[in-house]
Amino acid sequence: MNMKNVALLVLLGSMVVVPAAQAQIKHIEMRVEGMT
Amino acid sequence: MKQHLGRQSGVQSVEVSLIDGKVNVTPKEDGRIDPGQLLKAVYDSGVSVAEMEVTARGKIIKDSSGSLALQTETNQSFVLTPNEASKGLEPLAGSPAMVTVRGQLYKKPAGKKQKPDASAPLKLLLLEVQKKE
Repeated sequence: MNMKNVALLVLLGSMVVVPAAQAQIKHIEMRVEGMT
Repeated sequence: MKQHLGRQSGVQSVEVSLIDGKVNVTPKEDGRIDPGQLLKAVYDSGVSVAEMEVTARGKIIKDSSGSLALQTETNQSFVLTPNEASKGLEPLAGSPAMVTVRGQLYKKPAGKKQKPDASAPLKLLLLEVQKKE
């Protein structure tokens, strides 16, 4: 195995797959009136 | 009301506190939620909304009219009501930076009992910028 392949393996092994955080509404809070 | 809200698209769970009159809605992880539809759904169940606050993550953009807005989905954005907090986000307009903010999307007009117009665009009044990434 040449040095290029070793370097590639090390690089891939060190990568942590982090899911891309999405843009989105995370929480909604409402104050309501007339609730019984 | 809880069941009615739970049936709305993009809603994962609904918690209702009768003591303080608060309703907490948690959206689905990958779902799109429409606050305007939620507002209408609450009114349809016979309860009126005094205030609606959201916590959202998105990009700061400038819409077609040049107003600053928070884009939370490809085709969902909320125009920001100009204030100190929104001014601080102006340099991020058009950049890939993501921000997490808390803001007020709706407040019942004083003295009015009319049903909110679900088709009218909701403006976001920033209360807090929680994170810039």
